[in-house]
Amino acid sequence: MTDWLLFPYFALPAGLCWFVGAGFAFKTNGFRRAIFFTALGLCLFCVFMVGLWISLERPPMRTMGETRLWYSFFLPAAGLVTYISRRFKWILSFTALLSFVFVCINLFKPEIHDKTLMPALQSPWFAPHVIVYMLAYATLGAATIAAVYLLVGKKKRTTDEETISLCDSLTYVGTAFMTVGMLFGALWAKEAWGHYWSWDPKETWAAATWTAYLIYIHFRKSQPKRRSTAALILVGSFLLLQICWYGVNYLPSARGRSVHVYGQ
Amino acid sequence: MWILPWGYREGWTICTGLTLTGLAMQNFVGEFDVAAMPYPVNVAACAILAVVAVTVHALSRKYVVFRWFSSPQASITALAFVLFMSVIEGLGVATINSWAFTLVFAYLLLVLAAVVMRRLRKPKLKRDAGFVFSHAGLLLALVAASLGSGDLQRLRMTVARDAAEWRAANERNELVELPLAIELKSFDIDEYPPELMLIDNETGETLPRGKPTNVLIEACPTVLSLSDWEIEVVRYLPAAASVMTKDTAFFTEFLSEGATSALFAKARHKTTGVSSEGWVSCGNHVFPYRSLRLSDDESLIMPPRKPKRFASEVRVYSKEGESRESVIEVNRPLKYEGWKIYQLSYDESRGKWSHTSVFELVRDPWLPAVYAGIFMMLVGAIFLFLSSTENQTYNKKNKE
Repeated sequence: MTDWLLFPYFALPAGLCWFVGAGFAFKTNGFRRAIFFTALGLCLFCVFMVGLWISLERPPMRTMGETRLWYSFFLPAAGLVTYISRRFKWILSFTALLSFVFVCINLFKPEIHDKTLMPALQSPWFAPHVIVYMLAYATLGAATIAAVYLLVGKKKRTTDEETISLCDSLTYVGTAFMTVGMLFGALWAKEAWGHYWSWDPKETWAAATWTAYLIYIHFRKSQPKRRSTAALILVGSFLLLQICWYGVNYLPSARGRSVHVYGQ
Repeated sequence: MWILPWGYREGWTICTGLTLTGLAMQNFVGEFDVAAMPYPVNVAACAILAVVAVTVHALSRKYVVFRWFSSPQASITALAFVLFMSVIEGLGVATINSWAFTLVFAYLLLVLAAVVMRRLRKPKLKRDAGFVFSHAGLLLALVAASLGSGDLQRLRMTVARDAAEWRAANERNELVELPLAIELKSFDIDEYPPELMLIDNETGETLPRGKPTNVLIEACPTVLSLSDWEIEVVRYLPAAASVMTKDTAFFTEFLSEGATSALFAKARHKTTGVSSEGWVSCGNHVFPYRSLRLSDDESLIMPPRKPKRFASEVRVYSKEGESRESVIEVNRPLKYEGWKIYQLSYDESRGKWSHTSVFELVRDPWLPAVYAGIFMMLVGAIFLFLSSTENQTYNKKNKE
């Protein structure tokens, strides 16, 4: 049985693995070891998540703490895939760092870890909806890291071209996942709440976020040379995503009106 | 501005113009009411949109101006306005049912239709498949969802046990007669095991403040820890009645309607060693709730039991006199005579012993079109996912 009390024993070694892996990425001939350590960290983290799923007897996706768990897992995973396919040596450090921030939030601010799941959430759509969304958030988080790197780093035409092309790839993947997550949500909502779209605050912000990423994709296609503007659009879109993900829980307009606010 | 070829400026101006027109209409005509667009008005609106789109498309061969409507600049500016308005809606200012949003949205549909038709002029399977699936799918889903909402009926029906009901209330609380009837045979709730929590004796707030914790009592007897207290659950009665004596109350097994749940607990403070014991019950409409006072500040309580699953056993009748038995539960609606019947609620004051069940009945004749659009978008998303690697070569080609 795994529960939240065991979280530090899995999360801290996993985080350590990710940082060691990120360190090897900067070394010559460190490619394989970087992959090994990042993957090892992911395995450790995955064991905890599977254990938690079993002990809760439901998918660990209801509370914010539980969704942060998925985010902490998918972010280094997205970083690893990017690293393997593109060999950007800096990507692993950023994904490890961002992921560890979310691990720390779970370590220092544990929320109620309630086993119960309301009937509307007991659906085969629940797991795919949340997993695909968390994958999207993680990939788009990685895209944002690349965009910030482009905005802050030294301007060089060749490397900038490479970085923005990485942004494109990550945004395509992230937006594809986000589209699937949103549409799965719509299909589920039809079965559970009677309608596929009801401008629930979370849905409204999801629509805004989705539109923002569409703007980025269209802008890149039509104005490929305006890289900094594109990077700014990407950062702005990610801010909208934050409101959609957890910001709505704090918006007075969403209080008591959203089917997406659980917990208390 | 307005010098050919058009660019972003013209896009921003058109959208601003539509928004201002919408605001003016809001003043003179009032709120835009989707419900006021049932068949055949919505079909007419759809036809008008199609005619305008086809005209724009046909004229774009001859005149450069019309080609602009299928440009990225037109798409980006229209999307930006939709984004802006949904953010305002998200901040709590109702925007979606305004004329401004409706006009900008209709304009976005026009641009989308122009884009799709332009791409379909000389289609190449490999190059255009993903593009057409995502754009045409989005167009279909948006058109069907927005125009279809005029024909959407959502009604709420409350049915008492052993009675049949064929009337339901709409959003304006008017009773509507239906071509079907529902008879409630029985209503069942499965509950999660009881929970225990601490509350502040003075304020009634759940503890610890801000992030209350609760424990689920899955076994009995058991010992658990709740904040600074060690709690031993000695007895658990899933169906109980409270019995009053001269100076105290206790609980006893009660296996009939109206029973509540109760448990007997012994609590000991981990550091001070202060202890107390007694019954704790969540109570219901028949029996009062009971808490266990642990100290001057804290009490142990059992919050109302949470439903795990609730379901209605029903018999549905059609107007032709046919009937059929079925079970309706959350996430498992029943399809009957073109309606979808959802388990919505029950008499929450009676909880487990509710004698009524509340259903939502939904009829949405445009749903197949929306689903077709959604399906196309899902295929489009797969193409988008796959194109993430192609895009590298695309950029390399651009560089050369």
